[in-house]
Amino acid sequence: MLPFIDEILRYDSLSIVGLEKNTGKTECLKYVLDRLPVQDKRIAVTSIGIDGETVDQVTRTQKPEIVLREGMYFGTSEMHYRQRRLVSELIDVSDETTSLGRVVTARALTGGKILLSGPSSASSLRRWMGEMRRLDIDLVVIDGALSRMSSASPAVSQSMILATGAAYSANISTLVSKTAHVVDLVNLDLTSKGNIARLMPLDKGVWSIDKDGNLSSLEAVTSLSRDIHFEGMEQCETLYVAGALVDGFLEKVRKNKSLKQVELVVRDFTKIFVSPQQFRLFHKGGGRIHVLQRSRLIAVTVNPTSPSGYVLDSDMLCGKLSEAIGLPVYDLLKNKQ
Amino acid sequence: MQLKNVIESPCGLRYMLDQLELQSGYARRWLLDSPMMTSEEEIAAAYGVLRRFSQFIDQVEKTYIDTLLFKLQGLKDIRTTIRNLSQHAVLDDIELFEVKHLAILATDVARLLQQHGMDAVVEIPALDEVIAILDPDGMKIATFYIYDSYCAQLKDLRSQMRQHPDQQDDLLAQASELEEGVRQDLSRQLHPFADAMGQAQAALALIDVNLAKALQIKQLGLSFPTMSPDGTSHYRAMFHPQVKDALASRARKFQPVDIGFGHHPTLITGANMGGKTVVLKTLTLCQYLFQFAFGIPALEARIAVKDEIYFCIGDEQSVEKGLSSFAAEMKNIDAVIKASRMNKKLLALIDEPARTTNPTEGAALVTALLKVLADKDMSLVMTTHYDIEPGDARCLRVKGFENGEMDYQLVEVQSGEVPHEALNIAQSLGIDNEWINTARSLLESCPPS
Repeated sequence: MLPFIDEILRYDSLSIVGLEKNTGKTECLKYVLDRLPVQDKRIAVTSIGIDGETVDQVTRTQKPEIVLREGMYFGTSEMHYRQRRLVSELIDVSDETTSLGRVVTARALTGGKILLSGPSSASSLRRWMGEMRRLDIDLVVIDGALSRMSSASPAVSQSMILATGAAYSANISTLVSKTAHVVDLVNLDLTSKGNIARLMPLDKGVWSIDKDGNLSSLEAVTSLSRDIHFEGMEQCETLYVAGALVDGFLEKVRKNKSLKQVELVVRDFTKIFVSPQQFRLFHKGGGRIHVLQRSRLIAVTVNPTSPSGYVLDSDMLCGKLSEAIGLPVYDLLKNKQ
Repeated sequence: MQLKNVIESPCGLRYMLDQLELQSGYARRWLLDSPMMTSEEEIAAAYGVLRRFSQFIDQVEKTYIDTLLFKLQGLKDIRTTIRNLSQHAVLDDIELFEVKHLAILATDVARLLQQHGMDAVVEIPALDEVIAILDPDGMKIATFYIYDSYCAQLKDLRSQMRQHPDQQDDLLAQASELEEGVRQDLSRQLHPFADAMGQAQAALALIDVNLAKALQIKQLGLSFPTMSPDGTSHYRAMFHPQVKDALASRARKFQPVDIGFGHHPTLITGANMGGKTVVLKTLTLCQYLFQFAFGIPALEARIAVKDEIYFCIGDEQSVEKGLSSFAAEMKNIDAVIKASRMNKKLLALIDEPARTTNPTEGAALVTALLKVLADKDMSLVMTTHYDIEPGDARCLRVKGFENGEMDYQLVEVQSGEVPHEALNIAQSLGIDNEWINTARSLLESCPPS
């Protein structure tokens, strides 16, 4: 057994995030579910970010089925529940609807296949996770699509596995540096507990906390606008961007003299859309970016085969990536053989 | 007329609904769909139920109420499922789960209410038989699947599935036929309970709504009204909760108002910023709250039931639709006059009619309106800035600006003569001196006739 299964069990939740389609996220999910000790632990599985993205009605390409084991709990949409290929006991039907109907929670009474499509908004995911705690679930596993369409973020989980591979880039050194950038973002430190409590409920706008701890909204500033003018920011100690953090905004902060010492806060790594160059420049200048929620990155998995059939050298890829990020890297398909 | 048709009335009904702490989305829909009551018996009965809930939350422990409220959070809208059941459809697993969930919830809530003799106030039909059908193993938990004990053959197939996962698809296909047979059988057995399920769901919504209304009465300091059989309405220390809360957030106090009106038209005059519009808003709000059986924002209220309520205020929505403000207003008031000829009990509250036209014609329009409506069987309260001949109307005046402070009380006066305080008030607002002084000297050199 690969070591990360033991580590997963130290946390109450795990998300598995693919950096691109065909980077082996589903393989990784299957791998983990096959190996979790379902006899001693209550395990629940769901998926986020389904809104028309993973079930493509146009091309008819469907999200792959997951094989659940007897005793596992799962959250999926009404539509996919009706198509299940296992025997299961219904536990809850939520009030919230997704594009595929309401979210249904059930327990598998036999092993079998199911399509997963769970809560797709941040609040419904939060409620579903709460429901799982009420059911005394030991570990929630989230199939965490990275999606701008969905407000549900995989960063709500305590731990995370990233799946990367040739589909993300077919050149080893590019793939390593692109993946390392995401790993840097996932590993950003949390801001202070006080800031987390105050900023978490704010889901829109740009906010400033001054040296005396006064929180105020910067009405005139949106993080996406091109002409951002920070004025009277001398007292600003923390700058919180509730929405997406993009290059233009980061550059303005970096070049603003009164914001030299500022702590920049974003919700989590999924809200950061800055290039590695801007990110590096910001750090070099002494800038700090912190987050409100983060997952502990346990491992990275790679799929060396690109959708077009091109295959990277698995050992070299694992070695170089592991060296760059300081974490174990696995090729699950190769390990299986 | 349902609550949802009037919820956006500018009187502030939406605020009262937003302040209502309902536990389930279904109860909210149920309340919005409820019709405005227009018979004294119906309203009295609704307040009878609310009063019992109000006493109930005062008498029993808070933890007990919290348990009840928590239970009601589980109330779901399963009208579609109940309709399917009554139309002999075969329910699927999710629908059967919903039926079982509601039956267990209704039984739990009924038991809680029974402990305090509240079961006679809202009757919840017994659904023990429904639970028995959907809980063959007597587990008493609200989960569901096609249990093994429904069918021996199914049980057998499922144990084979566990032993031979490689044959799963084949075994599932066989099992799904047997499961469908069980679903048909269950749906047949449940069909006679469709009506009782619908009643139970509505009863739970009624409980949710009444608990929320009773808690709101406590929180906002509302009162139970009495029925006024003679067509007149009287309020003591009436207030507008939304305006009161807005003032409180700026550390200011709302001054409650006493007012009565009825057979004769009532004309309210008074200085600008004297709260005339707020009085009309509050009267409209109270009338709606009364006819949907909510607590009333007043120390005491004696209210007459009306068939229709008209609140005519400068309507920005019509203006957005492209009507001029004058046209929009004329059409609204026209509807009141037309309705007054239909032999119905009306309440009309009209804020400064014809204020956007020239004062000569405006005053004529208002005087005429008063004349036209005076001999109709209706309650009319109207505000105006025009000096008009009040005829039969009772005249009330806002006390007004005294010692630099506004006194919002209403006092009865003999004529409709309007106070001339606009310039003083403008000055107290710090409006440009040159403007105000020029106006003052114009008035002095050419006083109004």
